Amino acid sequence: MIPTLFGVLLITFLISHVVPGDAAQLIAGPRATPEIIQRIREEYGLDKPLHIQFFMYISQVLRGDLGKSIRTRRPVGADIRAFFPATFELTTTAMLLAVLFGIPLGVISAVYRDRWPDHLSRVFSVIGVSMPIFWLGLLLLFLFYIRLGILPGPGRISGDPPAHLTGLYLLDSLLTGNWRALGDAALHLVLPAFTLAFAVLARITRMTRSSMLEALGQDYVRTARAKGLMERWVVTRHALRNALIPTLTVIGLSYGELLGGAVATELIYAWPGMTHYVVGSMTSLDFPAVMGVTLVIAIIYITVNLLVDLTYALVDPRIRY
Amino acid sequence: MKRMWLLVGIGILVLGVGSLGADDVLVMGVTAEPETLDPHVTVDNNSWRAIYYCYDRLVEYEGGTTKLRPGLAESWEISDDGLTYTFHLRKGITFIDGTPFNAEAVKFNFERLFAIGKGPAGTFEFIKSVEVVDEYTVKFTLHAPFAPALSAFATDQGCIVSPGVMEHEVNGDWGQDWLAEHTAGTGPFYAAEWIHGMRLVLKRNDNYWGEPAKLAQVELRYVPEPEDLRMLLEKGEIDIAEKLTVDQIKSLKGVPGIRVFEGPSFSCHYIYLNCQRPYLNDVRVRRAISYAIDYEGIVDYIWQGTAVRMEGPVPIGFAEHIPVYQYPYDPDRARALLKEAGYEKGFTLRLMHSPVVPEWRQMAIVVQQNLADIGIKVQIESYAWATLRAKLDKGDFDMSFGYWTPDYADADMFTWFWFYSENWGLPGNRAWYKNEVMDDLVTAQRVETDPEKRQRLFEGIQWLAVSDAPYVYLVQTKYQLPMREWVKGYVYNPMLLNMPNFPDIYIER
Amino acid sequence: MWRSRLAVLGAAIVLALVVVAIFAPWIAPYSPTRINLRERLQPPSGKHLFGTDDAGRDILSRVIYGSRVTLRICALVVGLTLVIGTLLGLVSGFFGGWVDELVMRVSDVFLAFPALILAMAIAAALGPSLENAIVAMVAIWWPRYARVTRGQVLSIREIDFVAAARAAGASSFRIMLRHILPNCISPVVVQATLDLGEVVLTAATLSFIGFGAQPPTPEWGAMVSVGRNFLRDYWWYTTFPGLAILITVMGFNLLGDAVRDILDPRLRRGP
Repeated sequence: MIPTLFGVLLITFLISHVVPGDAAQLIAGPRATPEIIQRIREEYGLDKPLHIQFFMYISQVLRGDLGKSIRTRRPVGADIRAFFPATFELTTTAMLLAVLFGIPLGVISAVYRDRWPDHLSRVFSVIGVSMPIFWLGLLLLFLFYIRLGILPGPGRISGDPPAHLTGLYLLDSLLTGNWRALGDAALHLVLPAFTLAFAVLARITRMTRSSMLEALGQDYVRTARAKGLMERWVVTRHALRNALIPTLTVIGLSYGELLGGAVATELIYAWPGMTHYVVGSMTSLDFPAVMGVTLVIAIIYITVNLLVDLTYALVDPRIRY
Repeated sequence: MKRMWLLVGIGILVLGVGSLGADDVLVMGVTAEPETLDPHVTVDNNSWRAIYYCYDRLVEYEGGTTKLRPGLAESWEISDDGLTYTFHLRKGITFIDGTPFNAEAVKFNFERLFAIGKGPAGTFEFIKSVEVVDEYTVKFTLHAPFAPALSAFATDQGCIVSPGVMEHEVNGDWGQDWLAEHTAGTGPFYAAEWIHGMRLVLKRNDNYWGEPAKLAQVELRYVPEPEDLRMLLEKGEIDIAEKLTVDQIKSLKGVPGIRVFEGPSFSCHYIYLNCQRPYLNDVRVRRAISYAIDYEGIVDYIWQGTAVRMEGPVPIGFAEHIPVYQYPYDPDRARALLKEAGYEKGFTLRLMHSPVVPEWRQMAIVVQQNLADIGIKVQIESYAWATLRAKLDKGDFDMSFGYWTPDYADADMFTWFWFYSENWGLPGNRAWYKNEVMDDLVTAQRVETDPEKRQRLFEGIQWLAVSDAPYVYLVQTKYQLPMREWVKGYVYNPMLLNMPNFPDIYIER
Repeated sequence: MWRSRLAVLGAAIVLALVVVAIFAPWIAPYSPTRINLRERLQPPSGKHLFGTDDAGRDILSRVIYGSRVTLRICALVVGLTLVIGTLLGLVSGFFGGWVDELVMRVSDVFLAFPALILAMAIAAALGPSLENAIVAMVAIWWPRYARVTRGQVLSIREIDFVAAARAAGASSFRIMLRHILPNCISPVVVQATLDLGEVVLTAATLSFIGFGAQPPTPEWGAMVSVGRNFLRDYWWYTTFPGLAILITVMGFNLLGDAVRDILDPRLRRGP
């Protein structure tokens, strides 16, 4: 893991420094005097050779200092802490939606194989993984917000946000008993979460369906059926449990997809999250922010993958590391 | 049991919806966040919008006019030679942090402005020194007489900042880090909360020395996409929306409940031609480009009647404006000029724009086509606002769209800044243009006290500006601000573009 | 039966795409780049089947030419990643040792980022253009092919005919090319076909965000991005290019599924 992290740091550093142009001047802003620019150059170590800057950066990061954003003039760490909850709330809700709807859909599809529920769900699956998220988001926004007006528009909340405890609006409103904020935030979460979940939902449905089919065809199922157990019992107790194992992998692997999909989703719904911040930083060539956030995102991604591997090892008795 | 939970759930959701719009809270949607709240650092309209009414200035604009009235200074005298301005300050005022307002505070304010030395300091370059005469009298001495000097004090750069910021100073930064996120003024509002990426909340200063604001709270909500902004306005979730596109405003005009304010403005959109670059350093090429543009198409179809074509650099409506030559749309003549300059084979130029002004992209496509017709290949590049400005400041571009609004109603704003060779880059001369004759003209008008002589100087400047064509003069736009009908009290001031007068606005449903 | 119907549908879509791209100048009723301000933002009609955009350009023609852009992106990205990834995977698997370690570590680092995030970062750093977006996509995808190839190489490296060739005195290079490479092609091709849909989606997303195609290139994702600000009153601007993306990606995915089923039944269970 360590060499990978080092490599991650190296790559983010290199990417940010490919950008031509005088970073010191960007930081200093227009009309800054040459003295100020020189002072900034020294302060940020921009006058040193690249490899020295890299080691300075590593020692900085190890101390927990991710630098200062040029755009917001705040420490990158503070920005990340500010924007992370929004992304977390969005991706977690999307994941839950995908699992809550995907697994049952997959089961239904498998049980009613080759009949109309199956066909419908398979069509939906193909569309789901082929759908450009940004387009889906716009369509949903147009339909439910502009035309029908039954869901609120872009943004996380219309009125005042709840008191800040975790930054997760649903949780914070619950904990402070702020019902208005709860409803407000929940409604705002519907479209973005669904948009983000769409592709993953489709994937989970597909995966569940095929592993269910495989499980349903197994000997032990036939045995259970022969024993005269109820169909429902057979399905849920025996087949589903075994079918869930590969589905688990899909769920874990989808997390990276969710992070990527969050980029488009947050842009469409004006969601003030981390990926929205990353895009803004990239377009403004705010290299400290780009380095910091990309690093954090990579760490999150690696961690999640690690957790998935571990869970997989725990759940699947066939695998032993 | 299950049904009950369902009802509870629905109930909560319904509650969430029906909670919009208290009558003393104004929500304004903006497409860009302020870059900082420090008036001594920023020259960005987006920041001024939030800053302006958290502070006061020595003099203020009178309502919607360009006339000046007393602000923090109740009266003032200007010496006969125009070199000394003495202000008599109001008494009994305190800054929001408790520091008393007096001549020492004013002196500190300008010290800070010059020490930081960023964009806003340029507005007050004409000042040589600031002296405290007595507790409530302050004297400014100028390097040379400067006609628009008094107006400069009414701009955002003239906001008076409390000496109390020094308590938050870190590493000799004069409190910039702190003031970037807070306000420390005497104004009718103060910055209460800034959730980056979401909203900035201004609350009423209940200890304001003057007439208190009618609104208790102003929320500047950040909505990066104009279409989202427009939808929120239509649904009544926000009360005022700015920077909507021409197309959007056109369709909003018919919507019940929405009123679109329209007023003349002096904002101009034009193209900077980097005169230090190959090809563009040849005046024939610049003139060729000026002949190649379909101005009428742009005005009629992209701006759809909300703008007029610019006539030279000085806006129509300014006293100094004279009707100068306007390049007609003549591609043949353009091609002939290019041939004469030896560029018959054509060449490639890069054209920058930013999504901050949606009409730029549309104009860029037209310009691309127009120039392709005369043999110039145009590569369009879109940059974030800050990046674009940085590139302008370094001269790292060929052509770029630009936008300029005057801080005060004097043609100096459109000439000295645009053409003086010492102003290369962001300060104003974004064409990186240098012409010694022009330099003489613009510096002369700055100190000329005889109005007739000054006008003749401006005439010369305008003719030379068109003939040398360092800019492609495109359009002068009307100012349009869509808002809900329940927003009352809005007064438009062409000098305070993008800065609605929050203290006077109120909501009446 | 159903399966084969879907496969046929996929193939038909992809074929249609290729045909449209090749014959674009003959199929498209107007020029995709000629502006006509007088016909700005017209709704779909007999004259303009998909309507016009904010510069008066015919959207149908732009969508048609957009197929060329899409195919070009696919060809370049998949082609380059195949070459680079396969080469690296070959070398890595064959020589083993520190070469293998190095290549695998590097690919680990690239795989440590969510694909889109890294692609965005690279595209942003290099500058907004279609070429740079392609470079960015190649950079994030080669690890996949390298791994697949390497896996194949490892599994056949020790097989008898390789040992025989060695004994006969053939050089490493020869062995790699003549004996090993042909056996790696199959899974890599499968992977490539499966990835085509994702390539189109990623390219469209990059352009949508602003890091890909620049005007006047008629790239579908870029068109959706611009059309977004005309969504309310001019729905056709976003709808048709987006539909084109959806259908194209569907075609590639269905085709990819079919190819996978045929060539590698082992993987049928996969996502």
